[in-house]
Amino acid sequence: MNIHLKTALDYIMRAPFQALSAIFVLTITFFVATVLSILVYSSGKIIRHFETRPQVIAFLKDESTPESISALQERLSKDSRVKDVKYVNKEEALAIYKEATSDNPLLSELVSPSIFPASIEFSLLDLSFAEKVIEDMRGEAIVDQVGFTANIGSQTALGDVVSRLRTITLYLRVGGGVLVGVLLATSFLVLIVIIGMRMTTRRGEVEILDLIGATPGFIRSPIIIEAFIYALVGVIVGWLGTLILTLYATPSIVNYFGEIPVLPRDTLNILALFGIILAVEIVIGITLALTGSLLAVSRVRRGR
Amino acid sequence: MIKLKNVTKKFGDITALSDVSFEVDKGEFVFITGPSGAGKTTILKLILREVLPDNGKVIFDGIDVTEASKKEIPQIRQKIGVVFQDFKVLPERTLRENVEVALAVSGIPQSEWPSRVDKILELVGLSKRSELFPSQLSGGELERVSLARALVVNPKLILADEPTGNLDWDTADEIMELFEKINKEGKTIIMATHNREIIAKLKKRVIKLSEGKIINHEHSS
Repeated sequence: MNIHLKTALDYIMRAPFQALSAIFVLTITFFVATVLSILVYSSGKIIRHFETRPQVIAFLKDESTPESISALQERLSKDSRVKDVKYVNKEEALAIYKEATSDNPLLSELVSPSIFPASIEFSLLDLSFAEKVIEDMRGEAIVDQVGFTANIGSQTALGDVVSRLRTITLYLRVGGGVLVGVLLATSFLVLIVIIGMRMTTRRGEVEILDLIGATPGFIRSPIIIEAFIYALVGVIVGWLGTLILTLYATPSIVNYFGEIPVLPRDTLNILALFGIILAVEIVIGITLALTGSLLAVSRVRRGR
Repeated sequence: MIKLKNVTKKFGDITALSDVSFEVDKGEFVFITGPSGAGKTTILKLILREVLPDNGKVIFDGIDVTEASKKEIPQIRQKIGVVFQDFKVLPERTLRENVEVALAVSGIPQSEWPSRVDKILELVGLSKRSELFPSQLSGGELERVSLARALVVNPKLILADEPTGNLDWDTADEIMELFEKINKEGKTIIMATHNREIIAKLKKRVIKLSEGKIINHEHSS
């Protein structure tokens, strides 16, 4: 075994409670960081889900001809205020209805495609365009009624939900960021204190190593490796805890949110998401360990 | 190999060394002697670059130690084996690990460690105690550990600071026989001691100090 790794492991064995306290704080930090990463990911997915829903639905009159429908569709596609224009015919409308009422088959058996109007659905680039666009649509000869999900005037609709979700997500990101920042700062300080204590108890050994020609790098190596061990164990345990919790809760979460993809649907994609989080956390952990240990070593050596 | 030129060193108002000059050639065994406070240990510290002189130069192996940068100091120390009066062994490491540390410091590949450590422990007579900790060893054995650590890296120079200071006569005699053997193999040794019996027995060159000055310079007879 490498002499520096062996020395680092010896230090950990000799003062297990110092090691445990460092690992415990780092584990909590990275557990919270992983949970918050998942929450931020999920809230982003929820917002994206609602944002990509059609905001305006123009129901067409039964007598509308394919030519007139195509003409309207083309005009909307060229409109700079509008995006994602989609034509839904009567059969597709029935299919959507059947899917929505799948838990009550009796409801879908009673209807035929003829009672559902065809429609043109589209989203808006900006909700401020909604009132004018809807007014324009109402003026179209082939349009019977216009449905919308945006919040216009005093009417409350899906736009409100999206807006609230945005606010919650912002709070989550800012609040979570602050919390993780505080925890990271705490971990950093705990690492500095523990490494500083280690350096103080090693003072005699450092002096001997110095006299027999050890370079500063040789003297620092076991200390830095020890800090790496704390950081890596903290990252992996915190991350693993969140992964196990997420895998355990995923069926319930997916079931609760239905078609909203708050989490990846299959295990491989969940693992890919967690893999990215782990990679980022390892980089943060190593940076924390490296800066913390170097700072502690330089402070103790300055004090000699 | 070693040259001190007009070296003066003061600690506050106390003059530890005053205008000291001497040379030691390769393969020589030189005693530095004198009463406590004469400046023996200061000379060893200057060679090891533990302290800097106020005046003068210390040349070791063609390098002016006093002008060495921080980066060069470990390189200089790796060429010198030091045997300390208080042994300076690592208390939480076994005897074998104490010797291995010197090899690790010098960057010697780990594959060479077992053979080199076994050989040197055999030389100092500690083969059977290699897995013991310093607290389980006697003063004489600790001195041998310190010597083994100094020798294992095959240094150009060995500095010994009162290596028999804490030992009984028989053990001191055994240690001195070891030093003599090492010197006969071609190693340069500078030993600070005030043990007259040892100096008389080995008949080597003696530099006698008093109050930081060389008062006598006797060559081996």
